[in-house]
Amino acid sequence: MLAAALSNMPSAMAAAATLAFNELYVRGTEPTEKTRSLAGKLVTMQGFMAPPLKAEADFFVLTKMPMAVCPFCDSTMDWPDDIVLVLTDGLVDIQPFTASITVEGVLSIGFRKEVETGFVSFVRLESARFWRN
Amino acid sequence: MTRLKSSLLACAAFIAITQPAAAEALPQQNDSYYIAAAKQLEAALARKPIEGKAKNVILFVGDGMSVPTVTAARILEGQKRGVDGESNNLTIDLFPFVALAKTYSHDGQVSDSAPTATAMTTGIKTKNDIIGLNQNAMYKDCEGSKDKHVTTAFELAEAAGLATGVVSTARITHATPAAAYAHVANRDWEDDAQMKDQKGKGCLDIADQLVNWGAGDGFEVALGGGRQHFLPKETADPEDEGKTGTRTDGRNLTEEWTKKSNNNIFVWNGADFAKIDLTSGPKILGLFDRSHMEFEADRAKDKAGEPSLAEMTALAIDRLSQNDKGYILMVEGGRIDHAHHNGNAARALEDTLAFDQAVKTALEKTKREDTLIIVTADHSHAMTINGYPKRGNPILGVAVDVDGEVMKGGDGIPYTTLAYANGPGAVFKPLAEGQTSPEPAGIRPDPSATDTTDINYLQQAIVPLASETHAGDDVAVYAWGPQAHLMQGTVEQNYIYHVIAHAMGLNAGM
Repeated sequence: MLAAALSNMPSAMAAAATLAFNELYVRGTEPTEKTRSLAGKLVTMQGFMAPPLKAEADFFVLTKMPMAVCPFCDSTMDWPDDIVLVLTDGLVDIQPFTASITVEGVLSIGFRKEVETGFVSFVRLESARFWRN
Repeated sequence: MTRLKSSLLACAAFIAITQPAAAEALPQQNDSYYIAAAKQLEAALARKPIEGKAKNVILFVGDGMSVPTVTAARILEGQKRGVDGESNNLTIDLFPFVALAKTYSHDGQVSDSAPTATAMTTGIKTKNDIIGLNQNAMYKDCEGSKDKHVTTAFELAEAAGLATGVVSTARITHATPAAAYAHVANRDWEDDAQMKDQKGKGCLDIADQLVNWGAGDGFEVALGGGRQHFLPKETADPEDEGKTGTRTDGRNLTEEWTKKSNNNIFVWNGADFAKIDLTSGPKILGLFDRSHMEFEADRAKDKAGEPSLAEMTALAIDRLSQNDKGYILMVEGGRIDHAHHNGNAARALEDTLAFDQAVKTALEKTKREDTLIIVTADHSHAMTINGYPKRGNPILGVAVDVDGEVMKGGDGIPYTTLAYANGPGAVFKPLAEGQTSPEPAGIRPDPSATDTTDINYLQQAIVPLASETHAGDDVAVYAWGPQAHLMQGTVEQNYIYHVIAHAMGLNAGM
């Protein structure tokens, strides 16, 4: 399995810091001191996998609450303000949108537009893997 | 709250504790529960209905605020303060008169907010998804709806020269506030784009109906979320970078609002809200989010800042009170419902507490003698309170019994006190895309392995649904002020309108 696939257990390295959705921002898109300090480092976040745009992708959107409808697919839907873009090194093993997952990846912050998809994000977990809680 | 409590105590002071003249002292006579309940009886005996007319009416609607929601919120509020939650009282718990309302709609055993709100504002039951039209209207049929309009209490109030207002933490075009002013065959017609094939057939979308409401001189106050439905898609949203309005007719309804007079103002952020000067009696449109306003638990992190429901209620009362004839105001705690739909009890309870604070604000700013305040829910939700946690057990926690043992289901796994019958927290998996038969149920996750008090925790549910559903049980109706005593027994939800109209004299001559 590639790194992106569902992992059975947390990292054995145990170096990852934990970051909660509630800790991401002070207000709006102003990151907290904790978020800033963890940029570039390995972190874990708990959340839910939003329904993906297509079955085979190397990214997904992590949300603090389950997203029943895919905002990729329905133009009238809005993403919540505090989503996290998860970028993986291989194809994502898609999970039900109600399944609680933990993602481990390198935290990246700042507005960025993905070249391939045009998706704009502020917080990302890169080279990520994840497992069901 | 102070006025409420002192009023109740003042009434009680005139009545001595009644005991049978020759009665033997009961063994439980000095029991603290006995004494407290006896005092409650004193207050009830001393209670005098206010028979006069209501100059003002405030209708508080806690969207989806089922009876278990009130109970759980009461316990949470007490536990947050470090006092006994079970015997704690919210503001609404101190209301003197209470009824139960049947919330079914004309065509639904379980309703959505459109017919339930219509019941409260017009006195009739109508079909699910329909607002301000009678039962003969057909869902999504613009043409056929034109002769099905029914009149709202807000329209009657405007015709009588009273002031009117709507306040909500949901989009101000959402079903509950819309039932004060709109008449539509589909609750989703919040702007012209959503009318799709029914556009251009002579029906107005809900945002248009609010801004160009033909009743009297229109709303004095409309505060909530839903800015996208008032802005064209060519116009950038002032708060959310990269986002625009959703109207496709090129109209900017916020500008239409401000052009109506030199004293019509539009605000969209917390700072400008705080600076509103009521001296000149402005007509205020406040839209504080593109869509719904934030959940109370998330409000402090809103980019542009949002007023609380209590702050919006206070401003609305201050403004509407400038009309000497009186006013009618609807205040909706719109996001209790949304948190329940997410299967997220913590946010539902926090929004219930914010709603209760708004009720408290209204009591403090009004007089019982002239203002009828009704607090209710439009429908219930599928959240329940499981047995048998010990007294004082954290309401958002895993159930622990009176012996201090974690309670376990027949599967040997603990469970939380709060749970849902259906929704996103279901332990059974929904079908994946392309899947036709469900997976084996597997083992129920152990909630004690996670922090169930976390604000994002989803309580476990049985039936897997993307969105937890409303429920069909009765809701409570709390009343305070003139004619409040008419709220007793089990009533039809549309009875609420009749009490309002009677109390205000809106239907005089009918």
